[in-house]
Amino acid sequence: MDGRTLNLPRDTEARAALGLIAAGALLLPGLIAVAGENPLRVLGLMVAGAFLDLRGLADTVVRAIPLCLMGLGVAVAFRARVFNIGGDGQFLIGAALAVAASGWLVLLPAPLGVVALLAAGTLGGALWGGIAGVLRARFNANEIIATILLNYIALHVLSWLIRGPLQEAAGVFPRTDRLPPDLRLPMLVDAARISAGLAVALVAVGVLWLVMARSRFGFQVTALGENPEAARYGGVRPGLITAAVLALSGALAGLAGIVEVAGVHGRIQDGFGAGLGISGIAVALLARLNPLWVPASAFGFAGLHVGSATVARATAVPFPVVNVIEGAIILAYLAALALRGRQRAG
Amino acid sequence: MDGVLLVGLLASGVRFAMPILFAALGETVAQRAGVLNVGLEGIMLAGAFLAVLCAVATGSPWGGLAAAAAGGLAMGLLHGLMAVRMKVDQIIAGIALILLGLGLSGFGYRLAFGAGGVGQVPGFARLDIPGLSDIPVLGPILFGHHLLAYAGVTAAFGLAWVLPRSGLGLTLRAVGENPKAADAAGIDVDRVRMAAAAFGGAMAGIGGAYLSTAQLAGFVENMVAGRGFIAIACVVFARWNPVGALVAALLFGIADAAQIRLQSLYPGIPYQAFIILPFVLALAALAAAARSAHLPAALGRPYRRD
Repeated sequence: MDGRTLNLPRDTEARAALGLIAAGALLLPGLIAVAGENPLRVLGLMVAGAFLDLRGLADTVVRAIPLCLMGLGVAVAFRARVFNIGGDGQFLIGAALAVAASGWLVLLPAPLGVVALLAAGTLGGALWGGIAGVLRARFNANEIIATILLNYIALHVLSWLIRGPLQEAAGVFPRTDRLPPDLRLPMLVDAARISAGLAVALVAVGVLWLVMARSRFGFQVTALGENPEAARYGGVRPGLITAAVLALSGALAGLAGIVEVAGVHGRIQDGFGAGLGISGIAVALLARLNPLWVPASAFGFAGLHVGSATVARATAVPFPVVNVIEGAIILAYLAALALRGRQRAG
Repeated sequence: MDGVLLVGLLASGVRFAMPILFAALGETVAQRAGVLNVGLEGIMLAGAFLAVLCAVATGSPWGGLAAAAAGGLAMGLLHGLMAVRMKVDQIIAGIALILLGLGLSGFGYRLAFGAGGVGQVPGFARLDIPGLSDIPVLGPILFGHHLLAYAGVTAAFGLAWVLPRSGLGLTLRAVGENPKAADAAGIDVDRVRMAAAAFGGAMAGIGGAYLSTAQLAGFVENMVAGRGFIAIACVVFARWNPVGALVAALLFGIADAAQIRLQSLYPGIPYQAFIILPFVLALAALAAAARSAHLPAALGRPYRRD
């Protein structure tokens, strides 16, 4: 059959893309089979555990909240082609700064305290992202490497904080004390443990969409990402926008961090929020960097996490399968983009 | 600090530098050809796991090394397939590799070794160079290492000769600096870049193997712990020069060895203050070097004939 009549590109790019998608589709059942389980049964369990059972569905929504906020941050940054991979560090520093300030914030009248707490988390994330922003703007230091290095630094700073100055009063475990009840986010659905963090995330989606679609800043961000030369010619200051984007992206990750503390755990402990940052990248990419699609994408990836945990409990398939799937989804997404791009060009 | 301690520090600094060195050398070659792979961390993780798995299975560290190099090569080719053949975003393809390496190594480790752990791993033995390793001070620092460490240093000097002086090096640099001219001169740009990407992957795999079968003896999930990113910082800091990469890797290795010793020397200071030293150093190096860096002109840009 002539490929042209199907409107399929026939060059090496397309062949590579199709081959890769096919290989990716076989990878997951293959891995499950290697673990000695029936792929159909495991995949069914994964979907059922995340979406079909009420408790699983509630867990998925709870998990989607931080993923949505971090995905928003990544989407803004990647739109400017600023690769913020430091979501994890910004998440931790945001949560830590807010918890550190909680002793004073609790003195504020009730609803104001929570708002100030969220603001403190946002500020912490913005500062941590801003460090990479300044390094990029002033010294041209690659933000991919800088944000990753800052992740490791944040991880160890937090490890010290919860064993030192921020450790619980009892001094037994490496964790902070619980936030006072006045500083916890109220529950929207008590039985499902879904907090007002859901509303915070959805408001953030609306605000980010407005900023990106309607404001001058949003226009400059997109212009910088699409054609830096033309943007510079049009009066965009790349250094300034890049630094601002990293701070904004970090702010959203920091907000995710404190929402996770005030809405779910009530405190920071070892292993808090691990791996959310890189999942946030997958969330943003699948949303095609569009803030309005981020919640749906976050819900999907949250389901993947919850479903993989269900599978890991009930079968021999280990939990890290979730990272393999995320990686494969990103590659498949890129391959699909390559296919579409060629089609349009041809 | 007295002399004996210092000799021990420098000797283990050399050991700690090797995983970073292998990955950095591979990335130097790949970037010189125009391919930017930020997924070294994932490849090193896969390599570290494969090395342990296959060293245990074959009873020899060489079996592990071969498997790690092959696995790294495959992941480098996968990145090349995306970045060079399909011309998608190289950075995002690299991020996917991080996730794949993290997932596959964790998946494989839990499946193969489970809760029981690995047990005895056949690791690389030290190869004292007769005569030289007995020299005081310099002997233990320079000549009391695993065979792989000598191979790493040799590779750095070898590449320092190949890149500027040989026809192969010229081809690589042409493809990275001016792919259009290289194409006009009859060079198959994509093929050269695929080869460079594969080489970069294999070297990162070997770096992972060094970590799990020579520097340490065993696999722990996420054990590469940022070395893949420090290796990229080394490439930039060294301005795409292999011997420079050796110097930068040694710097980080020594910093890493020093921070472990400082932890026990100063128990009053929180140990985390020392753990972050290599990362802070990498951040400073990145900022110091990047300003004046001349990066390969076509780095990260796919080549299409107009």
